[in-house]
Amino acid sequence: MTDAVAMTNERNQMFRDLFSGKTPKRVPLSNPATQDFAIQYAGLDLAECQWDLTKLEPVYEKFCQDFVTDTYPGGSIRLPSHYQILGSTPIVMSSSGFMQHPEVVGLLAEEYDEFIASPYDCIVEKVLPRLFTELNGAPGKVAMTLAKAMRAQSDDLAYLGTIRAKMNAKYGYATMMGALTEAPFDFMADFLRSFKGISGDVRRYPDKIAAACEAVLPLMIKKGTLPNPAMLGYTFIPLHMAPYLRDKDFATLYWPTFKKLVETMAGMGQNVQLFVEQDWMRYLDYLYELPENTIMRFEYGDPKLVKEKLGKKHIISGFYPITLLQTGTKQQCVDKAKELMDVLAPGGKYWFQADKSVINFEAKGPVADNMRAVLEYVHENGTY
Amino acid sequence: MIDLKILTQAVGDLDEKVILGIINDFVATNPSGEDAQKVVLACQQGMAIVGDLFEKNEYYVGDLIFAGELLSQTIELLKPVLSGEATQKVGSMVIGTVEGDLHDIGKNIFGSMAEAAGFEVYDLGIDVSPRAFVDKIKEVKPDIVGMSGVLTLAIDAMRNTVKALEEAGIREGVKVIIGGNPVNEDACKQIGADAFTTNAAEGLKTCQGWVK
Amino acid sequence: MDSKYYATWEEYLAEHPELEGKPEHAIAPKIQKYEDAVFVFVMDLLL
Repeated sequence: MTDAVAMTNERNQMFRDLFSGKTPKRVPLSNPATQDFAIQYAGLDLAECQWDLTKLEPVYEKFCQDFVTDTYPGGSIRLPSHYQILGSTPIVMSSSGFMQHPEVVGLLAEEYDEFIASPYDCIVEKVLPRLFTELNGAPGKVAMTLAKAMRAQSDDLAYLGTIRAKMNAKYGYATMMGALTEAPFDFMADFLRSFKGISGDVRRYPDKIAAACEAVLPLMIKKGTLPNPAMLGYTFIPLHMAPYLRDKDFATLYWPTFKKLVETMAGMGQNVQLFVEQDWMRYLDYLYELPENTIMRFEYGDPKLVKEKLGKKHIISGFYPITLLQTGTKQQCVDKAKELMDVLAPGGKYWFQADKSVINFEAKGPVADNMRAVLEYVHENGTY
Repeated sequence: MIDLKILTQAVGDLDEKVILGIINDFVATNPSGEDAQKVVLACQQGMAIVGDLFEKNEYYVGDLIFAGELLSQTIELLKPVLSGEATQKVGSMVIGTVEGDLHDIGKNIFGSMAEAAGFEVYDLGIDVSPRAFVDKIKEVKPDIVGMSGVLTLAIDAMRNTVKALEEAGIREGVKVIIGGNPVNEDACKQIGADAFTTNAAEGLKTCQGWVK
Repeated sequence: MDSKYYATWEEYLAEHPELEGKPEHAIAPKIQKYEDAVFVFVMDLLL
């Protein structure tokens, strides 16, 4: 057995232990930086590399070589080719080369009933043509566009997959599967009704939101299902809108279908990782109700309070403030990691991840050096 | 004349039906521009209630967004009767989401609240280059410049924008406020801004303090 | 999920009697795979 295979086995075991509530050998850690960072770190052009994926292998080679981590640092990635072919408005490349999500409205308020009657039909017939300009037109054109876009994405994903396999084989990362889904309320907000639209709907037609969330729940469950629940991996659910809602709107509109989603995933034997974005401190009692060993990566809040309230039942992650990598000294950055480990690691059920992703790299800035120091510190000092 | 207190309270409660009912009835009486100004003022006072409830954690960002929408609707209805009456502006600002960043929700909330509070707001949109900020500032000579961003890279873009203002010799003439997820005190210092905020209501208070 | 644009194998088979008696164990997973692939593609566009 090669060293890398042995390392993969060891790391897989760490995550199996973590996900099943056992204390792993050491604190598992993930590099918070993304492919965007990696491309800039390699000194290459962001836009060019996202189109010409053959440039990415050396990018990942350097990224993996320089920053220790237990999981492949590729993350979930949006590449531009199929979005371009589709005439995408919800995901576009900005002037700086980052793929971003401007506010869009895919579903009109007067289309709620149609959506509730058949969410997927409504998505195909109303939402897609509205958000993707090339899916709006003669059926023949639409069919051909869809074929091109699917082929483009399929090729891109296959290529990224080969890079990932090479890096896993060389650096011995844990081999984890992931599936992405959303809380039904967030799904209704993000690309369908928009932040502004849903904020008005909460006041104007709360019953329709509730019905739409129920209607779309089976789709969100299906989307979040792994090919095989016994695989090492998790369903990733980034959480968006709850912090922007009043408590009573959260309780009636957001929580019920979100809870069902997580319970269904757990019932199928899948792990769930929540990215708990923004400030959820007022909802900790709700989070406590979720199935045991739900992974919760926090962006904001009091780590001590979270460990105390949730840490015995759930797996806690996040909190490491990446802005410190930009503004702090190396010592301050390492001290912060130590402080978080002291609070969160005791008793296991802790995974070192940062509060946000690091997407930008400045050659003269301190981020890369600080991040390297933090990851090495956690790697070397996280032993239980 | 309508009962302005009821209107103020309805705006504070974000009660769309009551607000639009009052405003429609009011406009139907073919009121004077002066009376229309009083109605606008009553709405602004209602927005102050919204801001207070936000600070008390009874309202959240979703409620602020809805408040902004209600207010734009109201102003739209009042426009025909407001025309001719020079609106008293408390100050002016140029705002935008900085270069490389396309997120505009925070900026839009802030912009609509600032408008509601009586500021003249020039919104440059998203992914705004330092050059575009400089050009607009030279053109309209605002009191305040507001830069917004959600991505961590926005910090660098904000710094570059302030640098561009300095190079153009217009930094001294304006107050600069930065807003968004990644900003904090350290970032504010690095960027060379006068104030930072992660909260539109609080940011607006800062701006109001500057133009008093 | 009840939709014009997505079918389970059973629903598909009911619409395609020409497949009766053909090697279902080989055909079913393949048909289902592409039903699911398009579903995931479409949903990913909205996430």
